[in-house]
Amino acid sequence: MAKIDLRRVEKRYGDYVAVETLDLSIVDGEFLVMLGPSGCGKTTTLNMIAGLDYPSAGEIFFDGQDVTAVTPHARNVAMVFQSSLLYPHLTVRRNIESSLRHTDLPASEKARRITEAVRMLELEPMLDKLPSQMSGGQRQRAATAKAIVREPSVFLLDEPLSALDAALRLSLRSELVNLQKRLGTTAVFVTHDQVEAMTMGDRIAVMSRGRLEQIGTPDEIYNQPASLFVAAFLGSPPMNLIAGEIAEGCFRAGRLSVPVEAAPGPATLGVRPQHARLADVASAETLPATVYALEHLGRESVVILEDEAGMKLRVLVEPSFHARVGDKAALAPDPSFCMLFGADGLRLPVGLARAA
Amino acid sequence: MRKSGPWLTLATLLLLIWSILPIYWMVRMAFLTPAEITQFPPPIFPTRFNIASFFNVLGFDHTLADGTMVRASGQANQVLRGLVNSVIVAVIVTVITLVIVVPLAYVFARLEFRFKNLLLNAVLLAVALPPVSTLIPFYAMFVQLKLAGTLTGLVLVDLTLTVPFVAWMLIGYFRNLPPVERLARIDGYSRFGTLFFLIVPMAKSGVAVAAVIAFLFAWNEFTFALILVNGTTANTLPTAISGFLFQNPQPSNLAACIVLTILPPGLVAYFLQRHVAEMSLVDPVR
Repeated sequence: MAKIDLRRVEKRYGDYVAVETLDLSIVDGEFLVMLGPSGCGKTTTLNMIAGLDYPSAGEIFFDGQDVTAVTPHARNVAMVFQSSLLYPHLTVRRNIESSLRHTDLPASEKARRITEAVRMLELEPMLDKLPSQMSGGQRQRAATAKAIVREPSVFLLDEPLSALDAALRLSLRSELVNLQKRLGTTAVFVTHDQVEAMTMGDRIAVMSRGRLEQIGTPDEIYNQPASLFVAAFLGSPPMNLIAGEIAEGCFRAGRLSVPVEAAPGPATLGVRPQHARLADVASAETLPATVYALEHLGRESVVILEDEAGMKLRVLVEPSFHARVGDKAALAPDPSFCMLFGADGLRLPVGLARAA
Repeated sequence: MRKSGPWLTLATLLLLIWSILPIYWMVRMAFLTPAEITQFPPPIFPTRFNIASFFNVLGFDHTLADGTMVRASGQANQVLRGLVNSVIVAVIVTVITLVIVVPLAYVFARLEFRFKNLLLNAVLLAVALPPVSTLIPFYAMFVQLKLAGTLTGLVLVDLTLTVPFVAWMLIGYFRNLPPVERLARIDGYSRFGTLFFLIVPMAKSGVAVAAVIAFLFAWNEFTFALILVNGTTANTLPTAISGFLFQNPQPSNLAACIVLTILPPGLVAYFLQRHVAEMSLVDPVR
């Protein structure tokens, strides 16, 4: 268990900047998810925390101790890799044992830890199987057991669920979080899947192009995105982003007009599908469009509209809603839930004018 | 499982005849008496198993059932020495090849470093060269170095063939192994520990096949042996046998010798066939 601090950590490969000056504090016992598209530097950051990669600049502290130059094994980290990598030629039992091979623990303690981990992850019937003889979910549990017998200072998980099918991912998500909370071990989980990030993380660190865009609780990230990138990356169905301009106390984009209190200039209006409604085509201050598709989600439906410029807009509607492709409609955002982003991609701190 | 139709059976039979028939013809000849060999049409099956030739080539006289004594072959000494030399050369070449190639192939397959492609091409160039092209230079060099006519010289030459060829084969095999290196570092394995305790056991089929190939290469090598060691005390079995062609031809002795020659590779292939079959799959372990 440990508190982890990254201070002004940087990683360069020649001219390429993989991670740009990063400051990050991970609280003891926290489940931190690092979220971002591929190539954003999240895995590089994880590797630096593990000690598999050394930063080009900056320091890493575990519980206040500088571990920047310490090897992975000596940092006592445990890592679960993509596709739950195990040694393919060893049985589950030997795979788990290999985690403790290079430690000075007495044999009785090793045996106790292994028995405990095997019991927790219900691996008894599989101990003598090879990884190739097990299902994806079983391999995942074996890789987790291999990680927890170390009683590590931190768990590092590098997209461990990405190769599994959807149903299995769903059940393993809660299983992993539940285990982490019971053990109370700090965990860093890397993923590009925003649903995984939202459901598993105590906090989420969103990264893009080597930079930390925002760090916060799932609620903060979702409801108060710091930038256009974060707003667009999180949420399913995704947020509608409408480019336009602020002038005379109003955000305008074509016929659409939303009252705002912000300095004039180009801006982007963001509104989540649940905060927009369909309006009559003729009504003023809405965005005219045609119905492009209707997606049924069961509890609700998503209407996908296409405006004249070909931009797709999404609106959540009642499941009983009916529309035909090509029908005329208009999008009316709820002004009290709209967000504004400036030309630099950052969210404008200024509040929207509350509609009377 | 694939369905086996009549065509598949037919093709398999054809292939079997193609590969087995010449071997059968040769083995059969080893059991014939000189009189039977000169018969026409030749007997397809030996009427009795006459093992005199095997005794003769190994230096023993043998008395046939009818009381005739068949004398030991005059070349028995050559054959015996060739057998011993061949075993020595093949075993040493196999061991040295593995010691060099396993780390070499691992480094080329799994690590990134400067001039990697250039160095790899340098290693593999030797596979593309026909051995004959280096025959004269090697001979000239070995005469000066006093390595001509020695087992050491032959081992060195064999290594120039086996190392690049086996490296080429193993690099491809190592590339397909799952990426366990980072996991190994977390578990506290050193680079050497990863190679010897994880990669080699994971790749045991590939390493076994590499050993077989090196062994067979050295065992069968004829061209260099003919030029560098033939007629000396370092003679190997294939060149010793070729002597039967020229001096006082004795077909049954020649055949008996060849049977002795193909026996060890045959046994090796038989005991390692499981690994060879596994090697042919693109994805080795997963």
